[in-house]
Amino acid sequence: MQASVRRLRGRHVPARLLLSLIAVLLLLPIAVTLLYAFFSPEEIRAYMGTRNRYTADSFMALRLIPETVSLMQFYRVLITDREILRYFINSVLYTAGILAGQLLALPALAYGLSCFRFRGRDALAFGIVLLMVLPFQVTMVPSVLTLRALNLLNTPWAIVLPMLSAPFFAFLLRQYMLGIPAEIIEAAQIDSAGPLKCFLRIVIPMSRPVLGTMAALSFAESWNLVEQPLTYLTSRSDLYPLSVAFGQLTRNMSGIEFAGAALFILPSLFVYLFFQEDIMEGIRVADLR
Amino acid sequence: MFKTKRVIFFLFPGLALLLLFYAGPLLGGIRYSLLDGTFENRFVGLDNYRRLWGNPMFLQGLRNTLELSLIGAPLLWLLSFLMASALSGIHPFGTFARSAVLLPYLAPASAMVLIWQVLFDYGGPLNRLLAALGAERIEWLSSGAMRAPILVMFLWKNLGLCVLVFMAALRSVSPSLYESAELDGITWLRKTFSITLPLILPSAYLVFILSWINAFKIFREVYFISGAYPAESVYTLQHYMNNLYSGLNYQMVTSAAYSFAAIALALFGVLFFLQQRAANELNG
Repeated sequence: MQASVRRLRGRHVPARLLLSLIAVLLLLPIAVTLLYAFFSPEEIRAYMGTRNRYTADSFMALRLIPETVSLMQFYRVLITDREILRYFINSVLYTAGILAGQLLALPALAYGLSCFRFRGRDALAFGIVLLMVLPFQVTMVPSVLTLRALNLLNTPWAIVLPMLSAPFFAFLLRQYMLGIPAEIIEAAQIDSAGPLKCFLRIVIPMSRPVLGTMAALSFAESWNLVEQPLTYLTSRSDLYPLSVAFGQLTRNMSGIEFAGAALFILPSLFVYLFFQEDIMEGIRVADLR
Repeated sequence: MFKTKRVIFFLFPGLALLLLFYAGPLLGGIRYSLLDGTFENRFVGLDNYRRLWGNPMFLQGLRNTLELSLIGAPLLWLLSFLMASALSGIHPFGTFARSAVLLPYLAPASAMVLIWQVLFDYGGPLNRLLAALGAERIEWLSSGAMRAPILVMFLWKNLGLCVLVFMAALRSVSPSLYESAELDGITWLRKTFSITLPLILPSAYLVFILSWINAFKIFREVYFISGAYPAESVYTLQHYMNNLYSGLNYQMVTSAAYSFAAIALALFGVLFFLQQRAANELNG
């Protein structure tokens, strides 16, 4: 057995090397961003200033290591120059609001559409699939119409409310719950457990992986809102999340952008490490209707 | 399976929000696209649509969005399938590769733009490599060549998630299914089409949907690099619509949305039909 495993490993050396290379290439942009955060603001500004030179034989230097490791960028982002931090807090609030709301509304919806039998159930589920495959440019329009009618444009609610019923996550949760064996729920029914008890005691605990997956993917989306704030908050750029504001703050390179970017990426790292295993388990597709 | 009217308590919050923000106004908004938007709000039939389809900026945005997503989504699907197959062939899984691939999906687009600007700069590492290989340098970010970096950024961001979905599915395929096939000495291609893909069809379909949804978001990187008015080759439908919103032109916005919805649903309908047919064939 041992020998065969070793032989198997030996055989895959080229594939392993290739894949590790791809993995390194994928990580490189993030790693370099983190490295640049430890340059002093003057040094990084000077370096970024060498961009956009269209002369025949001048190149940007390849820099990875700072002349002196400096925490000045972080100091300015966090202590003296708090503009990035302000938008960062907006992002945190939006993300927290969206995730909390989704966890209240979507598992219950998916439960209703998977563990109950009623007329029109599959039609409803198919309607959700249709909404899910509509491009964002399309679904944005109805949201704007409602937000305008409710006078919510240019308020934080415009960002949070439409996200709460994200059709993709409803779909993902439902697919997972459809895979929960009917016998388990039937057994609970025989023990005279009602729908609510079943939901809280059986379905939710069993759905942990998909809930983790949803949390991670939804975090990725909420932490990276771009189109929504640009459309829903046209006259309140102070309410922008960092995901939009950052693009504008970096136009006039003041030298602290990479520390800002590093701080902005950091929560994603934690979310990722926390939910890594769930994601492998949670994306399970039972059936396509 | 429960059969009780109390299901409504579970459905209500989610369904109400879906109806309020998506389904309801999606149907109700058709009205807007048929009015002229002036003080009198006269009914003008399909006039808005006619004006829209005569507008060169709309056509440009629509064409670019469709082209970018029709190149990007299938490419993403194929690459992630190949990479997942390669990763699953290795036992135990390439743990390092696996943990590396998802991170880009979580990293915000705006935080990554700086590094892309360095990488694709005229004097940047990529052009340095091209020059070292003796090739002509390319103005990646300012010309018609910008589509290539945009697609690279799209693939970079979405590859990991799609690979993970494929891998989760491949893991559930029992290796014994391949054994007799391997004894018969069939090719990798044959094995993929007659054993692997049929078994993981639902996940393959899910990856397709993910690529599809995200391909229509190829706007962010363009926006952060070139702002609201980028080069013609990467001017997307989202750019066009954002400019309409700032002009409060709801007649054209809704017309554009419904036109695009019709195209997207037609495309999706064809794919859904093909997928259903494949699934039916498999189930006999």
